Amino acid sequence: MSARIRRSWLVVPMSKAEQIVRASRSGADVIVLDLVEFVAEEDKPAARERVQAAIRTAHAGGAEVFAQVDPEMLVADLHACAWPGLTGVIVSRLESPQQVAEVNGLLAELEVRRGILHGALEIVAALETARGNHAAYDIGCASPRIRGLTLGRADLIMDLRPEPSGEIHLMPYLMQRLIGVARALGVTPIGAWWRAPARGLLAGPDDTYHAARRGRAIGFTGSLCIDVNQVEPLNRGFTPDDAEAAAANELITAYRAGVARGVALSEQGDRLVDRGAAAQSLALLDRAAACAARDREKAEMAGRQ
Amino acid sequence: MAILVRRSNLLAPITDAERVNQAWRSDADAITLDLEDGVVETRKAEARGLVKEGIALAGQGGAEVFVRVNAALLHADLDASVWPGVHGIMLPCVASAAEVLEAVEQMTALERRRGLAAGALELIVLLESARAVWDIRSIITASPRITQVGLDESDLACDLGITPLPEYDPYVYARGRLVIEATAAKVQPIGITYPLGVHPRSLSAAEIHRMATDARNLGMKGVLCPDPSWVAPANAAFTPTAERVAHNKRVREVFAGAVAEGTAAVPLDGRMIDVPVDEWAKVVLAMADACDARDAQKRAARAGS
Amino acid sequence: MATPQVRRSGLTMPVVTRRFVDHAWRRGCDFINLDLEDSVPQHLKAHARGLIKDAIPIVRKGGAEAFTRINHDHVHADLEAIVWPGLSKVNYPKAESAEEIRLLDDVITRLERERGIRPGTVEIGANIETATGVAAAYDIASASPRVKEFGGGSGYDMSRDLGVEMFVGFEQFAYGKGELELAARALGLQVRAAPFVANTTGSVSDADRAFGEAQAARKCGFRLGGGLNPAVVEPQNRGFTPTAEEVEDARWVLERHRELAGTGDTWIVIDGRVIDRYEAARARDTLEWAALCAERDREKAVAVLRTRAAMAEPTPPTSA
Repeated sequence: MSARIRRSWLVVPMSKAEQIVRASRSGADVIVLDLVEFVAEEDKPAARERVQAAIRTAHAGGAEVFAQVDPEMLVADLHACAWPGLTGVIVSRLESPQQVAEVNGLLAELEVRRGILHGALEIVAALETARGNHAAYDIGCASPRIRGLTLGRADLIMDLRPEPSGEIHLMPYLMQRLIGVARALGVTPIGAWWRAPARGLLAGPDDTYHAARRGRAIGFTGSLCIDVNQVEPLNRGFTPDDAEAAAANELITAYRAGVARGVALSEQGDRLVDRGAAAQSLALLDRAAACAARDREKAEMAGRQ
Repeated sequence: MAILVRRSNLLAPITDAERVNQAWRSDADAITLDLEDGVVETRKAEARGLVKEGIALAGQGGAEVFVRVNAALLHADLDASVWPGVHGIMLPCVASAAEVLEAVEQMTALERRRGLAAGALELIVLLESARAVWDIRSIITASPRITQVGLDESDLACDLGITPLPEYDPYVYARGRLVIEATAAKVQPIGITYPLGVHPRSLSAAEIHRMATDARNLGMKGVLCPDPSWVAPANAAFTPTAERVAHNKRVREVFAGAVAEGTAAVPLDGRMIDVPVDEWAKVVLAMADACDARDAQKRAARAGS
Repeated sequence: MATPQVRRSGLTMPVVTRRFVDHAWRRGCDFINLDLEDSVPQHLKAHARGLIKDAIPIVRKGGAEAFTRINHDHVHADLEAIVWPGLSKVNYPKAESAEEIRLLDDVITRLERERGIRPGTVEIGANIETATGVAAAYDIASASPRVKEFGGGSGYDMSRDLGVEMFVGFEQFAYGKGELELAARALGLQVRAAPFVANTTGSVSDADRAFGEAQAARKCGFRLGGGLNPAVVEPQNRGFTPTAEEVEDARWVLERHRELAGTGDTWIVIDGRVIDRYEAARARDTLEWAALCAERDREKAVAVLRTRAAMAEPTPPTSA
């Protein structure tokens, strides 16, 4: 099964549930209903009450819907969000396979009770601490519900700071490690390559586009964001553009012409082109097509509103 | 323990008669007759028939001759490749220790059947998936026949789902893991600096030399050369220059003098020469001797042919 | 995580060089690392062992902690010679397995007991200097509670093990450094790390460079220094200590964050700067660190005064 196109994951704190309407019109591939990161302690009970209705609104614009939950408050958070219409949950600060097992068990119960197809609810593991990242492989293995890994807000939670170069200390290593572990397990790496000072709450549209583009170049497929103005740049940054598609077509043509002549290695300019390069280009065109299909799907759903 | 000197390993598609005939002139330390990415699908059977003759042609300059087999056609390819004169097999697409052992089993049987010394054939393994990078330790320790390991960056890009950009190296983690795990297992890591591994090009000798030098300073011990023009600069980059040899001989002399006088640190040309610096000098001089010996072997082989 | 020790600066010195040991207390270091390893020639190592016991109190006269670096291949002989009251830490080079660390722990435990040292006092510094060490990093770092800080992954010995030249101007050790730092953080240990700074000179005595690197490391959240040359001590002390402006700023951040309570917002942007619980945590951390540094500086100043008094030396007009 080819993975869903999920380039933009717009986070809406459930303490500000009125933002859900604007979010549903933002063109986000995914809307994340947050019960953890951006919701003050005292507002959490009320926030949980709003999730079921928010799921319906979020869907209106064609987005998939995830909820972000706290591993220390799983029973309350999962009961609040496991309703028909929910695609899955992001578990913030996930640190152990034991926590995954707990989430898995609760989701299974809730699926039965609420008429959701068994096993449908996905888990995205947010590895935002050193312990979580260290255990990434074991966590990713712990349940077939796990479909994605992300660093979430690891840079803030682990207190990783900008280096003179602008790179956030340790993040290049953590990103590539997470991408490698995710692909080794056949799950999707989610995130972007943010650089200081344009990260987190301060990232503007341009910074966001570049973080997405860089992120895509190393293996991320989509990223979380907090502001509606970041949605379009994320969608754009994570979609192959026309120039790339054209280059991919040229390369495939050159390769196939060579093969027709009985030659497995061709030259494109000064570059040696082989089967692997052609395979990359084909994969790029596939992704471009899938992105276009997702965009059409969202347009249709939005049109029906 | 003898130092393995294999600074350059030139790939020669077996169906390219010109390349196979001329390969020895490049002065590569090793030549790999390629049945895999250098040969189109429709000619793979034909290619197998060309190996036996190709071995002698490739070996006439004293190069070690390898054959790169297809993982999907392992048995047929090994059967066509294990002949006297072959130094080893290059095994691409390795994802597990079990795959190594499968190849080893057949190689052992073929060695016996064809009069090669038992265990004579070396293995060079190429990793091209995130899974393989994660499991590298179990893969490269699966058999003592494995002497070198590298990344197939082109296929790894497919596995990671990316079309790499030259400005953003997606393999810092994978390459770093390769160097550390290989060195720890006493297997030589091979490869060239980014992006030449994933975007091989014909560049000037000076540029190849610079990138091979950078690769050496990342811990690589040699380069797979997709093009003959890479060979001479790669050989040079991995050989200590006369200047470095002279300098390090001086270091050793000066340090020995200091030790004789009862200290463990002595200045030379603005640097402090102490135990670690002397240890490094030993490494450089040993490498220089080993390279000299290898070059002499190749000269003798050419004189004899 | 336990209260971090203040170890901004420190000198590694061959214990056999009398004048280094005698003057160590004047350097202003947070620690002195008495070396039995690479700076001591082979034929003097036995003699060196005999010097450690007396050297420990001598180097501590200025308030510095006393560490020792032992030889990888002479663990038993070296530990017997060095584990005495006053020793804070044993630095163990080229650590490659958890088993090695457990052995050190066992021997140190016995010696602490036999010599009246409070159990658990002596820390172990597990120095990773080979590829094998990196490959076993997490196991090594978690092998003993005496390991309280961890990191590194570059340097001369690592370079030799990988067969690479040093000072080539680009990052050669990203993977090893990342593995060690991740292990340290996952285990709640103090992290020995720094932002990458291209270094093509290998100079060990450049004071400006030392200050710049210490400051960059501190701004990245790291606080552990050390070196070979006295010229870097003061720059490291200064570079690793928060400035008055930074302390003031930390207090400002905490006030702004306190104002968020009860508003329903978890963050606010003021003058293009985010104030949230992460900024607040960092601010608290800065204040705690500033206090620890001040306390450490007071401790050292008192020790220096006492030593001078005992030596009937005049105190200079401006204290150290």
